[in-house]
Amino acid sequence: MNLQIMKMLRRLLRSDAELNRSRGKETQVHPALRMAAAFLFVILSAVSVNAIFTIAVLAGALLMTAMKKAREIPELLKAPAAASLLSLLITLPAVFLGSPATMLTVTMKVFTSVLILALLNNHLRWQEMTAAFGTLGMPQIFVFTLDMTMRFLVILGRYSNEILEAVSLRRIGKKTWKNAGTGGVLGSTYLHAVRAAEGTSEAQTCRCFRGEYKNYRKYRFGIRDAGMIALMALVTAFFIYTCVLAAKAS
Amino acid sequence: MHIPENYLSPQTCAVMTAVMVPVWIMSVRKVSKELPKEKIPMLGVGAAFSFLGMMFNIPLPGGTTGHAVGGTLISLLIGPYASCIAVSVALLLQALIFGDGGILSFGANCFNMAFVLPFVGYAISSLIAKHVKSEKGRFIGAAVGSYAGINAAAFCAAVEFGIQPMLFRDSSGSALYCPYGLNISIPVMMLGHLTLFGIAEVVYTVAVYAFMRKAQPSMLADTGIKAKKKTSPAVKLFLAALIVATPLGLLAEGTAWGEWGADEIAATGIGYTPAGMLNGFEWKTLIPDYAVSGMPEWIGYILSAVIGVAVLVIVFKLIAGIVGKNGADEVYSR
Repeated sequence: MNLQIMKMLRRLLRSDAELNRSRGKETQVHPALRMAAAFLFVILSAVSVNAIFTIAVLAGALLMTAMKKAREIPELLKAPAAASLLSLLITLPAVFLGSPATMLTVTMKVFTSVLILALLNNHLRWQEMTAAFGTLGMPQIFVFTLDMTMRFLVILGRYSNEILEAVSLRRIGKKTWKNAGTGGVLGSTYLHAVRAAEGTSEAQTCRCFRGEYKNYRKYRFGIRDAGMIALMALVTAFFIYTCVLAAKAS
Repeated sequence: MHIPENYLSPQTCAVMTAVMVPVWIMSVRKVSKELPKEKIPMLGVGAAFSFLGMMFNIPLPGGTTGHAVGGTLISLLIGPYASCIAVSVALLLQALIFGDGGILSFGANCFNMAFVLPFVGYAISSLIAKHVKSEKGRFIGAAVGSYAGINAAAFCAAVEFGIQPMLFRDSSGSALYCPYGLNISIPVMMLGHLTLFGIAEVVYTVAVYAFMRKAQPSMLADTGIKAKKKTSPAVKLFLAALIVATPLGLLAEGTAWGEWGADEIAATGIGYTPAGMLNGFEWKTLIPDYAVSGMPEWIGYILSAVIGVAVLVIVFKLIAGIVGKNGADEVYSR
């Protein structure tokens, strides 16, 4: 149990450390552009009527995955693999109904979409993602909720981890979810969450924070940003081309 | 040289797969023990070279085509056992996703191209390099070894084709699977491979081997240089150039001997379609014959090459991660 919580904490805190290391090195594509590109590719591949477009996007996503470090690839592929397997099982009846292409196409689209989002998650730190949502015009309350959720995941994760460690030290024998007093752990964590939320609210009121986020990181529009915009335009043009081809074929 | 579905009887396929099982087990054991963990992701690069080599079709007068395989090349880079694994994975990818080579005949294809080719090629090139102790000796060994390897593999494929009409006939005497006997399959297969395809294999092997010796000597088994954690940019650029050049394989029109579809075989001269091919196993692939309907063939070819190379690199990086976790230290390779 501790291991699961510590794994989650490690991912969030690594993101924090990497963000601090990268301060002053804003040479990458603007996070909001990356996010917009990812959403565009996901939406277009979902609505495409021609398999060629999805295959082209899949090829690009697989190429990006192949360039990642060996230790990152298993984490990247877990979610797409699970989603594809589920999709495969759900659409399996299509094979018996004489339409195996449907099963292949849907599974391929699911795999492609989830892989694109996994790559986005891998590349952007959660702070950058939150800031990108703000830049893209998401309501501030949404950004605020997301930011608070991520922070409290870390705080409550640490708290429940300490309680679980204390339970482990006091127990004799193998610890399972049943005999670990999970109800008590969750209850204590909940009470801690309520107290922490009240404290956060009071602190924000004292500092005149009204739930609005300003992005203080300075990004300059560079050649990589221009390249990303060009790529988005190219992919959109290719999508339109495949739609025209499909219309002509039918 | 890819044997398609329903050209070999299920019995032949089962025997060939059974023969390959101990080879695979031995290869995995050898690679786990002897190949440095840092070189395992290089298996993906090697498999990518083999995969791309098999996409460049070369025409032979008479309307048939063939291709290089690169099995000897990989065995010179990272050893014959690693080559067996790399080519097997490349063949599996081709069978599952692109329909190049059958699923049931996967064992037979691996026997020819992942076992016979690299081991014969490596043995001969090592023998020559041992007796001609110079840089020239290595290249001569690579050339002769790759030529011998591909021809040995072609001979095995020819025999597998040729024994089908002897062993599997229906009540009217018509062949159930490949209809051409040894008296046709051996001369036809060997003619192509002793001439153009063998030369193509030599050129591909020597060219890439020379390039790798200059660009990334740490990848080679015989230099003794410790493997670097990153694939050199020159190698990546070379792979990218090969991917872009794959549509050149489309210039070769015609189907390779022994790779006709069920609708084409009657027109080759036998006058009928064997019953085993009409009613046999069929596997629906994502990108059959590296083409997507409705798009120019060259786009399908390039996308197929990108997908193939990316999947191979990912698979071997995953394997490197697993081996690294089970070993004493983790592998962090790019």
